[in-house]
Amino acid sequence: MGRYIARRLLQAIPMLFLLSIALFLLVNLAPGGPLAGHGRTRRPNPEKAEQLKRQFGLDQPLAVQYVVWLVGNDWMNVDADGDGIKESKGTRRGILRGDFGFSFKTRKPVIEEVGERLGNTVYLMTVTLIIVAIIAIPVGIISAIKQYSFFDISVTTLSFMGQAIPEFWLGMILILVFYVWLKNPITGESLLPPGGMKSMQPGFDLWDRIQHLILPVTMGAVGWVAWYSRFLRSGMLDIIHQDYIRTARAKGLSERLVMSRHALKNALIPLVTILALDIPYIFAGSIYVELMFSWPGMGRLYYQAATGRDYPVLMAILIFASMFTVIANLLADIAYGYLDPRIRYE
Amino acid sequence: MFGDKAFKALALLTLFILLASSLIGCGATPEPTAAPEATDVVAEPTEAPEEPTAAPEEPTEVPPTEAPPPEPEESSIVIAIPEDPAGFNGHVSDTGYEQMLMELTMLGLTDLDPEGNLFLELAAELPTMENGGVVVDEENWTMDVTWTLRDDVYWADGEQVTADDVLFTWDAISDPEGGIWAEGIDYTGGLEKVDDLSFTVHYTTTYPNYAMHFGGENFAVWPEHYCDASQGYVAWDCNREPLSSGPYLLEEWQTGDYISFVRNPNYFEEGKPNIDNILVRIVPERAVIKTMLIEGDADVYMWLTPTEIAELETLDHIGVTFSPTNRWTMRLIPNLAARGSIDPVAEPHPILSDVRVRRAIRMAIDTDLLTEEIFLDYNEPVWTELFRPPYVCEIPRPEYNPGAAADLLEEAGWTDQDDDGIRECHGCETAEEGYVMSMENMIYAEYGEELELAQQLIAEMLKDIGIDLELSIVEGPVLWADYESGGIEQNGDFDLNLWDDGYPGIDPTDHLWVYYYSAAAEPDYGWNVGRWYNEDFDYLLDEAYWLDEEYRKDLFCQMADILEEELPQIILWTEVDADGYSMRVEGVQATVNDIMTWNVADWKIVE
Repeated sequence: MGRYIARRLLQAIPMLFLLSIALFLLVNLAPGGPLAGHGRTRRPNPEKAEQLKRQFGLDQPLAVQYVVWLVGNDWMNVDADGDGIKESKGTRRGILRGDFGFSFKTRKPVIEEVGERLGNTVYLMTVTLIIVAIIAIPVGIISAIKQYSFFDISVTTLSFMGQAIPEFWLGMILILVFYVWLKNPITGESLLPPGGMKSMQPGFDLWDRIQHLILPVTMGAVGWVAWYSRFLRSGMLDIIHQDYIRTARAKGLSERLVMSRHALKNALIPLVTILALDIPYIFAGSIYVELMFSWPGMGRLYYQAATGRDYPVLMAILIFASMFTVIANLLADIAYGYLDPRIRYE
Repeated sequence: MFGDKAFKALALLTLFILLASSLIGCGATPEPTAAPEATDVVAEPTEAPEEPTAAPEEPTEVPPTEAPPPEPEESSIVIAIPEDPAGFNGHVSDTGYEQMLMELTMLGLTDLDPEGNLFLELAAELPTMENGGVVVDEENWTMDVTWTLRDDVYWADGEQVTADDVLFTWDAISDPEGGIWAEGIDYTGGLEKVDDLSFTVHYTTTYPNYAMHFGGENFAVWPEHYCDASQGYVAWDCNREPLSSGPYLLEEWQTGDYISFVRNPNYFEEGKPNIDNILVRIVPERAVIKTMLIEGDADVYMWLTPTEIAELETLDHIGVTFSPTNRWTMRLIPNLAARGSIDPVAEPHPILSDVRVRRAIRMAIDTDLLTEEIFLDYNEPVWTELFRPPYVCEIPRPEYNPGAAADLLEEAGWTDQDDDGIRECHGCETAEEGYVMSMENMIYAEYGEELELAQQLIAEMLKDIGIDLELSIVEGPVLWADYESGGIEQNGDFDLNLWDDGYPGIDPTDHLWVYYYSAAAEPDYGWNVGRWYNEDFDYLLDEAYWLDEEYRKDLFCQMADILEEELPQIILWTEVDADGYSMRVEGVQATVNDIMTWNVADWKIVE
């Protein structure tokens, strides 16, 4: 297994390299550019545009821009002041040495921008995923065991609704109900806050943090719960009609044991795989949830970078997401081999 | 209940997720940015008393301790904004939110009130020719302006704000490597220190907007002893951790979440600011900001849309403040060159290069209906660039007359002979026989639904006179990108675009240059993307770089006449500039000459 993991990781290096070229081209060749469309100065002054191009490195050919992004320019002379003479060494070190450049918007190092947001997104998405697992797994199992019961039909209906409801609209409704309509009967304040990670108050308040999590987690979880529960129900239904389940019953095992030891174990295999493949979402976040509930996370950063053509930030997020996807795929494969004895990685 | 292996795998995954959460989610949360603490202003050393005070011979009786009076509760307000500001520097990013933060913490030499009147901040007085502050060399057409700073303004760490700080700031801005283009930079030869509180600006030409050169919404003076020039003006740390000279001090900045400010105890205006704390909350969804304002969780909300104004005006606990004048004007930009070309002489646009067609288009658009139906009468029809004080030119309002517009098109050789409702060229001067009067109309996506509705309504109005518009919506960064990046307008790849713009402050000179001057028609050299060339206009604009206000007014109105005659742009309406605020806050006044927080030191809480 160790050799398999090492081989997969080595294979990932050229894949990520090719991916980085493709992403760089896609990002840079997309229509439009970073010099226009910001705020009120939609059409920048020509001299300013020229200066910005030089500062952003956009005055170089695309191939040079990629090389600088990858390995930096501190080994080559650059024309930093626009006088046409390449008189000084550049200051970029390239992503291979941990320098993702600076944000065109804030001029802060990209790694700092990402670092400020990543933790917030992991926090929100982890809680969401745990809640999803806690709800979806039992719901899926019971739906399958009690197929066509009132519970199953209700859950099926709700699942379809959960998958069909536009996430953004759901967020608006949650705010309307829990922030505008429903009030705390004692204090008269809104039942739940409309957004943010915490209230402005000194110290750590667990209940305050939980209150701020309820609505965004609900918005993010509804679609996932619906999808996971349907998936598990379907897997369970496939399995409980297999011959070995009938054999187990014929041996005289209790229904509980049949379900837990023989059916669920096998039904969970594909779910675990899917769960592993969803790990990148934990780092990438959800744009809609973060926008709606003012959550300062990666999804919002990505949205801002994409709409503002902040290439360095965009590239950093895409590269991180690619890396997490590669790792998640590997984890899924390992988990699959671990759970299913028929699969051997040699 | 779970199978062993499945359970283990699930447990492993959960453990991994929890570990990641605890390690990254908690550990990596950055420390909030905090500004340096304010210290008391360095006081003048007081002389020690000559004789030591004698100790009292008898011990005095200790008075019974009284409970200290309860400290008055600190006043605070919440300003909600939809976007993360890039920092406190208006030159680096211009979303308006950077300017808002800048007004809270930093000062320039001068500023403008909503009526367009100049007022002083760091400057002790306004230099003029009368008081000898402005000296013009009429032989060389250059001028020198000498500024004197107030002597009672201090940085938050107690250092005095001096001429060195202004010179330092200007050097940083002008640095070709780490600086950025700023208003006035093209006309500035250099700055020279006169004494600690005075400096002279040497201009290479006469610069009419000199009074706002070191002020306004984008310029602030930065502290020489605090900012690191080696980091460059656009990237230095002070852009996010400023040392205040203004009414508030940055307390904490949680990126993407909130920015908190506390009152600057050393602010130079006695007794101000009135409000102790300001919290700027970043709430990306505008509908949520509006709801927070209504629910009392936000106190100020900038830049209301007409729909929001109409809703908020009905609420007793919410006030809406309007700027006395508007800045942004919606305009149709006709491309006078053939699509894809930038040469209107060699390749004129088959339809729009004829001024009669442009005039007919304007006559066919009912701006009253548009502003009433879509913008609820908050936007106002305008028809000239020169409608804002102090340069208001008497251009008669063009009539809305679709019948006359149709006649004009007939006269120009555009008739509908196949009765399909769309005109074709039959004897027109600019297109081949039979050329169909069909064009693309683009708007930018970021404006939102109201502009889309306006675009549709305009298309219907033009359809009524036989002009077919194909409607497109594109992203601003695509529409306005530079030539090499394939920018639609810079490449001339459009027919008739619809967007808004306007000039900050009160001097329209640079705005007119960028949009109408001949040289600005060159790709990436300006935004005369309709490629309109007029030598008379160029001459008048060159002349306008002068100081005589009456002469300038006359020149601007002559320019307005030419624009009216040739219609290189069809000005349609001006957009309302309004802010919403909780009625418990007094003093909020919208302005297009600056940003909402221009007078934040005067705001009060009136419970």
